[in-house]
Amino acid sequence: MQTFTGLVSVLLVFLWLGGNLVSPLRPICDLRVLDHFVREARDSEVIMRGCRGGCGAMKSYFVPLTSVDFAVLEHMDVNGQAVEVQTGLSLLDQALSNAMKTVSNSPLANALDNNISNIHSLGQILHSLDLQQARSTVLPDDSAPASTQTQEVSSLPELLQVQSSFLRGKVRLLLSAAPACQRQNS
Amino acid sequence: MTKMSDRLKIVFMLCLAFVTTGGQHFESKVAQLLQDETEDIKCFVELKDLTCFWEEEEERNNLQYTFTYSYENKNKMACVVSSLSLLASNKTVFFCKLPKTPFFTTLDVQVFRDGRMLYSRSLNAENYLFLDPPRNLTVLSSGKEGQLNVSWLPPLLKYMDDSMIYEVRYAVEGSNMGKVEVIKVSTMLVLLGLQSDTRYKVWVRVKPDGVAYKGYWSAWTEPVLGVTQPSDLDPLIMVLVLFIGLILCLLSMTVILSHHKFLLKKLWPDIPTPEHKFPGLFTVCKGDFKEWMSQNNSSMWGRSVQVYTEELPSPLEVLSEVSLTSHGTSQREERKPVEEDEEKESERSDSGLTDRWREPPQAHWLMEQLRALQENPQSLSQSLLVQSHDTYVTLNQNSQGDGEREVDDVFEETLPLQTLFTTTGTTSLSTSHSDLGSLQQSSGSGRLSSQSSFEYPNQTWPPKGPGYTYMAVADSGVSMDYSPMSSSRITELGRHRMYTNDYKNEIFLHKWPLFGEHNKSGSESCMGPVW
Repeated sequence: MQTFTGLVSVLLVFLWLGGNLVSPLRPICDLRVLDHFVREARDSEVIMRGCRGGCGAMKSYFVPLTSVDFAVLEHMDVNGQAVEVQTGLSLLDQALSNAMKTVSNSPLANALDNNISNIHSLGQILHSLDLQQARSTVLPDDSAPASTQTQEVSSLPELLQVQSSFLRGKVRLLLSAAPACQRQNS
Repeated sequence: MTKMSDRLKIVFMLCLAFVTTGGQHFESKVAQLLQDETEDIKCFVELKDLTCFWEEEEERNNLQYTFTYSYENKNKMACVVSSLSLLASNKTVFFCKLPKTPFFTTLDVQVFRDGRMLYSRSLNAENYLFLDPPRNLTVLSSGKEGQLNVSWLPPLLKYMDDSMIYEVRYAVEGSNMGKVEVIKVSTMLVLLGLQSDTRYKVWVRVKPDGVAYKGYWSAWTEPVLGVTQPSDLDPLIMVLVLFIGLILCLLSMTVILSHHKFLLKKLWPDIPTPEHKFPGLFTVCKGDFKEWMSQNNSSMWGRSVQVYTEELPSPLEVLSEVSLTSHGTSQREERKPVEEDEEKESERSDSGLTDRWREPPQAHWLMEQLRALQENPQSLSQSLLVQSHDTYVTLNQNSQGDGEREVDDVFEETLPLQTLFTTTGTTSLSTSHSDLGSLQQSSGSGRLSSQSSFEYPNQTWPPKGPGYTYMAVADSGVSMDYSPMSSSRITELGRHRMYTNDYKNEIFLHKWPLFGEHNKSGSESCMGPVW
């Protein structure tokens, strides 16, 4: 019995250590990473404009809202922003994946694939900043919720424009306002 | 109440001042975009508010216009149109400032006049930022030469501090040629490579970097003057030049001193004098050659001046062989001419030893005499004719019958000489060896290698006056065995026969009572050279 309790205590210690070791990621506060993603999103727009054939079908996508009101933003707390960003990124991820299925043009397909991986990296960055609040807000593909936080676009160029605006606006403002980064700067 | 009214007035004036300053910027921006922008409806964002304006040539009332905008599928919103008269270009502009400008979304702007759409445009507000120029531009001279420190404050925009790019323009005061430096994010710059002690004008302007925000270049700031440090190179150059000059001087002096003899020879050559060949000619005799000649009777001169055709002989007594047992008195004299050699020891021969030589006491006495003689080498050179205990030279006889005897004779002949030389030690012997270089060792040969010619009367020598017979001995090589003798050989001395060749030397006659039968009559004196 004593050996059993000893083993259990050792296991608990290991779990605690494991838990502590896994979660604290070093915060990524350099906005140049995001700027890199923004440039690649813009490259997709450029490729889209020059695409001739196999550039995706006309399809409606549900995308997040991208507008930013600075006056409103100042009064909004970081967590609310984080939720907004998280849902928006997941929406974009879905929409881009759906769009890539209809694209046969290889440069465009590569660009879209790049954008999808960038969105996943952004998720990791948010996790490093302890801003990954809403994990379970992934919306199903088929449903079309008339959420106030989404909008509908009907073409791939519009989708790419939304993606670009979203990254430059909300995501960037959230990262620049992240408390983990504010502590480092101050 | 008066205080309150005064305060209100002050506040109003401040607000007005603020507005006018904003207006000044606004008007300049409008004016600038009016020239640069090609769109019909020109829009820019100033302080997070989007302003769109258009130009109208005809005289119109602003109330005729309707300005609407929408974004994100929302309903259209209206904006109040205002007019502005540009004083510089005397133009009228209608504009609308959106109260809450949404960023990062596509804005659809439309202008209607009298119900008809005049202009329409879709734009993202964050792409048309028109910033104010940087504030508080300062130019300071840095501590180093040719440098200026430039610093400024960024425009007051939250969330956009890290998205700015600046351009710094600088030129010499009064010159139109300016250079431009681009700098990102940072609000200070050090200008390098400037002329020293020169007044420079500096301008700065700002623009969004284009990643998250885009926009137009701001207006240039007012020029700020800065003066670079005066050149402090001149004294430095002088010091360096002096230092280098000093080093060069030292080097040249070192070279000159190390080769001064050579240089002196080249520049001031010595006049050669023969003084070293004629010692004392110029110092003592003062150039009188005859006097110097008379004074200096050196052997060098004596040798070189051939007074006599014949060579001067050296007094030499040659001991001839005397057979102690059977031969009796077989005397042979050999007159041995010996070349004078200043390095040779004075060789004197005495009347030869007789058969009594065999007796050891005589040999011992001889040894003692020789030893005494060797100890006084000076006396040897001086009075050769007086001393009878002079060095002996034994010559090997040619005509000996037996070969064996010849061999013995050779050894016997060489013995006395060996005895002589061994007493003095090996050193003198060695010197004598070297001196008598022409003499060869012929131990065992039994032959006289000299070419001496001897002639003398057989047995008796008629006594003559003080005259002498001398022999001009020209000998090139007399074979002598001057090898150092061992003690055993010395003991054998007495058993061997001695060779005596007696000169007719009256001088030695009375000194050698031991030599009995030999006629030592006849005198001879060798007029030897001056040793």
